[in-house]
Amino acid sequence: MDLLFDSVASAFVLLWSFDRELLEIVLVSLNVSFFATLIASIVGIPGGFVIAYSTFPGKRLVLTCLNTLLALPTVVIGLLVYSFISRKGLFGSFDLLYTQKAIIIGQVILIVPVIMTLTIAAVSRIDDRYRMTALTLGADIYQMAWVVLREARYGILAAVIAAFGRVIAEVGISMMLGGNAKGFTRTMTTAMALEYDKGEFVLAVALGITLMSLAFLINMLFHFFQGRTESEAV
Amino acid sequence: MKLYKLENIKRIHGNRTVLDIEDLEIAAGKIYTLIGPNGAGKTTLLKILSFLDSPSQGRMHFMGEEVLCGEKHLYGFRKRVVLLDQSPIMFTGSVWKNIEFGLKVRNIREDEKGRRIREVLDLVGMARFKDYNARGLSGGETKRIALARALVLQPEVLLCDEPTANVDAENQEIILDIIEQINKEQKTSVIFSTHYLSQGQRLADHSLLLQRGSLSEMANENIFRITVAGYEGDKTLCQLTGQLIIKIPKEALPLDKSFAKVHIDPYLLTFEPGCEKRTDGNVVRGHVTDISQESGSVRLGVDVGVKMVLIFPMEQYLLEKPSLGQKLNIFIPDQALGFSSFESSLSSSRK
Repeated sequence: MDLLFDSVASAFVLLWSFDRELLEIVLVSLNVSFFATLIASIVGIPGGFVIAYSTFPGKRLVLTCLNTLLALPTVVIGLLVYSFISRKGLFGSFDLLYTQKAIIIGQVILIVPVIMTLTIAAVSRIDDRYRMTALTLGADIYQMAWVVLREARYGILAAVIAAFGRVIAEVGISMMLGGNAKGFTRTMTTAMALEYDKGEFVLAVALGITLMSLAFLINMLFHFFQGRTESEAV
Repeated sequence: MKLYKLENIKRIHGNRTVLDIEDLEIAAGKIYTLIGPNGAGKTTLLKILSFLDSPSQGRMHFMGEEVLCGEKHLYGFRKRVVLLDQSPIMFTGSVWKNIEFGLKVRNIREDEKGRRIREVLDLVGMARFKDYNARGLSGGETKRIALARALVLQPEVLLCDEPTANVDAENQEIILDIIEQINKEQKTSVIFSTHYLSQGQRLADHSLLLQRGSLSEMANENIFRITVAGYEGDKTLCQLTGQLIIKIPKEALPLDKSFAKVHIDPYLLTFEPGCEKRTDGNVVRGHVTDISQESGSVRLGVDVGVKMVLIFPMEQYLLEKPSLGQKLNIFIPDQALGFSSFESSLSSSRK
């Protein structure tokens, strides 16, 4: 018990002192998670909308595949991407291995199914009269899509937040594709794993506290914007 | 000028044909009502006429131009008509933003937008609601704003799916007045579905009767040419095709009696064995010539001097169980009488 209390106390001291190493790790984590979520959103939100709103043969199969991909272990993605970007891989010449870009690629693969399935669920819940009303008022399909996505914004925002939460907390991809290089590809989760291996709990606990605080902050922001949007019209 | 021309139009969902129209022509600048029970295909027909749905087969022309399938083609047609939903939905935002939507997607200039929105808000009597949250309005107010959102686009055709359903009497009157006004002043063609024959009587130039997806022959069965036979107090005595005399309130008769035809709504007729004298309608006596069943309803053919059709729920039939040849008193309430010309719209649908 003492170990935990001592570690937490020391972690707060470390956080309060704005330790340079800790800040670097947090920034790397935020950087890769932000870009991974951004790219996955650009792909996943329109993709989810198109799947939700179109009928095509094999749609059920696509949905089943997407749901299956939700359970894809990060180490499997790590291995898959590694096989492509390692020196002998198809994209070996791009020197991506052990860079932040490699982590981002892996994380995008991890969360595109998350954003897509949650977008499909969010859009499917939207009353079809929004689509009909937009079209009869003269909207083209892009304007209609915008109307539907706007009405489904909280569900979609929740999808993006869930995806961000997934990438910032994952360790397998970051470790296998990033290599945990200090100052370059060391993220909060890989640093925590390393510190645990070393038996150094202070930095690990400090990073854990940071991670939890970030999750709390993101949820606060989500609720703030939700309340604001609802009250914007008198 | 023909607004719509439909030939052999069918809409099939799964293995069920929900709409089957052999031939229908709709003239421009008129008001049409689409009358029929629930599930008759009124909404499906309106969606096809508003280019939000495509028929499974058949040909359709709009203003002489053939309507082809495909989003790109339909998009062009959609800009000329607007469908007002039975339960309109408001987008997130204010009343003003909702009405502005259609103008925005048409890239209308800011000053023009403002002028048109203010005009249409005045027309529906909702000017003071412009900054309100559109989702906070009552049912009647929502319908009026939805009507404003449609009218601000100055469409060539306004299609309304039961525009007065689920609204109070005051809002019903306002909505019907606006529909009448825009038809008269802007020559906007209007097609609206309703359960109320009285609304058809009041507004429509033509009424279309839909039953189980088809324009019903039944509409012709209870249509009779009227000859004025005399007067009695505030009632006019009218002969139906020379056989039967019924009393019709004087003010209900159209001015031009030379073309007058009466349509007796088969859904509003009742048979009441003990009923002899009524002041709110006519009681005629006849015998049952035909009994048939159709989707939860019973259709009764009665000879009262002319052949008349009654349609009523199965439960009522089971209570009385009239048999072939049985003599019955048929009550024709005044509100079952309509004076619209079905001839032009339905003659083409006869098989």
